Amino acid sequence: MISFQNFSFRYEESQDFTLHKIDMTIKTGEFILLTGRSGCGKTTLIRSLNGLIPHFYPGEMKGDILMDGHSLLEMQPSQLAGQVGTVFQDPRSQFFMTDTTRELAFGCENLGLSREETIDRIAKSTKELELADYLNRSIFALSSGEKQQIAIGSVYALAPKVYIFDEPSANLDYAATKRLAEIMGKLKKKGYTIFVVEHRFYYLREWIDRVFLIQDGQIEQEFTKEEFCALPEETRISYGLRTAYPERDAEHYRGKERADNGTHLLKVNSLGFSYKKGPEVFQNVSFEAHAGDVIGILGHNGAGKTTLLSILTGLLKQQHGEVCFDGKKLSPRQRRALSYLVMQDTDYQLFASSVEDELSLGIKEDCKEKVDATLKALELSEYRERHPASLSGGQKQRVTIGAAIVKDSPVIYFDEPTSGLDYDSMVRVSRLIEQLSNSGVIVFVVSHDFEFIVRTCTEVVQLDDHGAIQNHRLSPEILKALSEKYFT
Amino acid sequence: MEETQIKQMIERQSLHGSALLDPRCKILLLVCIGFVSYFLAGEVVSLALMLVYGLFIAFGNGGKWALKMIVSYIIVAYLNALLRYVQVPVLSVIMSVFGVTVLKLIPIVMMGLWILRTTYMDDLMVSLQRMRLPQAVTIPLVVMFRYIPTLRIEYRQIRNTMDIRGISDTLWKRVSHPLATIEYILIPLLMRCLKVTDELAASGTTRGLELECKRYALRPIRFSWPEIAVSLLGILFLAVLLFLDQTKIGEIILWRV
Repeated sequence: MISFQNFSFRYEESQDFTLHKIDMTIKTGEFILLTGRSGCGKTTLIRSLNGLIPHFYPGEMKGDILMDGHSLLEMQPSQLAGQVGTVFQDPRSQFFMTDTTRELAFGCENLGLSREETIDRIAKSTKELELADYLNRSIFALSSGEKQQIAIGSVYALAPKVYIFDEPSANLDYAATKRLAEIMGKLKKKGYTIFVVEHRFYYLREWIDRVFLIQDGQIEQEFTKEEFCALPEETRISYGLRTAYPERDAEHYRGKERADNGTHLLKVNSLGFSYKKGPEVFQNVSFEAHAGDVIGILGHNGAGKTTLLSILTGLLKQQHGEVCFDGKKLSPRQRRALSYLVMQDTDYQLFASSVEDELSLGIKEDCKEKVDATLKALELSEYRERHPASLSGGQKQRVTIGAAIVKDSPVIYFDEPTSGLDYDSMVRVSRLIEQLSNSGVIVFVVSHDFEFIVRTCTEVVQLDDHGAIQNHRLSPEILKALSEKYFT
Repeated sequence: MEETQIKQMIERQSLHGSALLDPRCKILLLVCIGFVSYFLAGEVVSLALMLVYGLFIAFGNGGKWALKMIVSYIIVAYLNALLRYVQVPVLSVIMSVFGVTVLKLIPIVMMGLWILRTTYMDDLMVSLQRMRLPQAVTIPLVVMFRYIPTLRIEYRQIRNTMDIRGISDTLWKRVSHPLATIEYILIPLLMRCLKVTDELAASGTTRGLELECKRYALRPIRFSWPEIAVSLLGILFLAVLLFLDQTKIGEIILWRV
């Protein structure tokens, strides 16, 4: 049993309390979902459970947190290591070892277990979580979903009684998310207590016992699974929550008309690509994109979405086929000049020392007015002097979109623009893309976020295992087929 | 799959031969080569150093790598010899100093990167602990070891964005504004570094990284007779090279054009 008793917390560097008087009691074996808007304090809450607060992130505390009668706050994180296991959001930055087997063993080795004991434990973890296929591999060769599973396995080998997941699905595709849900179900059946912090929680709806809605550092509401899944749409949106049934969106789909104020045409003819000595990533990919189209690029991890994006943006050279813009065949360099890519990781994209400079970077002519207008449109005017790195994730993303607008790119690509975003931010990105498309830009979106795709895209391009491609104008029927493919 | 089968898989090593030596032994050799390489003046002895250690790592998953480095060594040596015919004041001196430095560095790079690639991280942690190094030294070292392979991936990502945004995307821009180019690469790299190390540390902490228990790696780590033999032989060989360098052999000119 874990009970928060009037627990408040303030980070050392901040003025205000991030958590106010949290009071909740969780029984052993419960599956708890913590949700709420970005910055509401969910992450702080779980940091106080796994010992990172107060030892890793110091600050002022009031109240107490008890686990089976002992105060968690007095324990060192290393004492908690065998009791509370945490799986973090970004699987790329939780690996200490360079190969999977040793990563599984990492926690056990830290605890000073003997060789035999460690091997026993990781063998058990491998067997029960079905990870045998991933043993003895380099972690650099794994997809995010596979990395995530290894991360869970590594925690599992420590045999904790409480599991914490911090936005585990943010970097996963549908198949990997499904697999994650399976593993979570297994953990629940074994009687472990599970906390999940998540925005996109549709995949958990089978397992949830209780949901805590957190707002401004307080528990705003507590729901049972039934209450939570039956929340009326307006209430859900007013709380800033994503839908629990994204597949239902397909039925409400209203066709979007292509905005007809541009004449650009991007044509891709029988594109093919394979890496050196590797198998073909895809072949014979053809499609058309008109000005104002918002095209979702779908496909599971490894189907070649990133490669396709790299070719379209001119970072890679195709081996077969051609890319034409307004009837003119483009070289990779010309493609680079035409396009702009908004990456999932905005950290890679911010170079300048202020937001204002960032927008005008790399542009030769005077663009002050345009920068001003763009800052205003993106609600970034008050941050113009700030260093981009000091902004929040959503703001950074808007800065990179702003740079695309100032660059005047006729084609803009988005790579997973909504990973880890709450409802409000997702809607905001969707609106921004709509504005872009209305102004005659061709937009491509690589995304696993069904709710977002339904809301934003006018067309989808699917990459399947053979690299072939289908180009569909979105309609309720096609969305239904897609949702069946992803959610059943 | 059955547990016994899984256990067999866990204990299977992808490395063999000299790659499985205790990391302490490998690091000792690296340090010694680092010292000796700069003191060797003779061309024959330097080549011998390269060849013998190339052979050594070829016995431990490093055959291709050793071949690559030996070939580059010979090419650089010939280019150095060619410099004799280029008579540009100042520039030729700078070039030849540069050339010799690169030549001296090649064996160290060969050995260093081989160690990086063929050392299991947990072996490294255990052997560092057995050397009684405090955690304040071992943890940063391990994080660095782990971070180096990702640097290239991160660098690629940043270059890609720069190309798309038209920042230092042409050779001319890079040459005419080298400092700006470095700045544009370093800033995102540092930002990423800060974020990744923070997350990595949090993830390690919750899995008990800070516990100071005695560690055991997945395979037994001992500085036993193979390590002792290899270290002694390796050092003896370097000493012989240093001695030969003082004799007539050190004066033989190998790279003639």
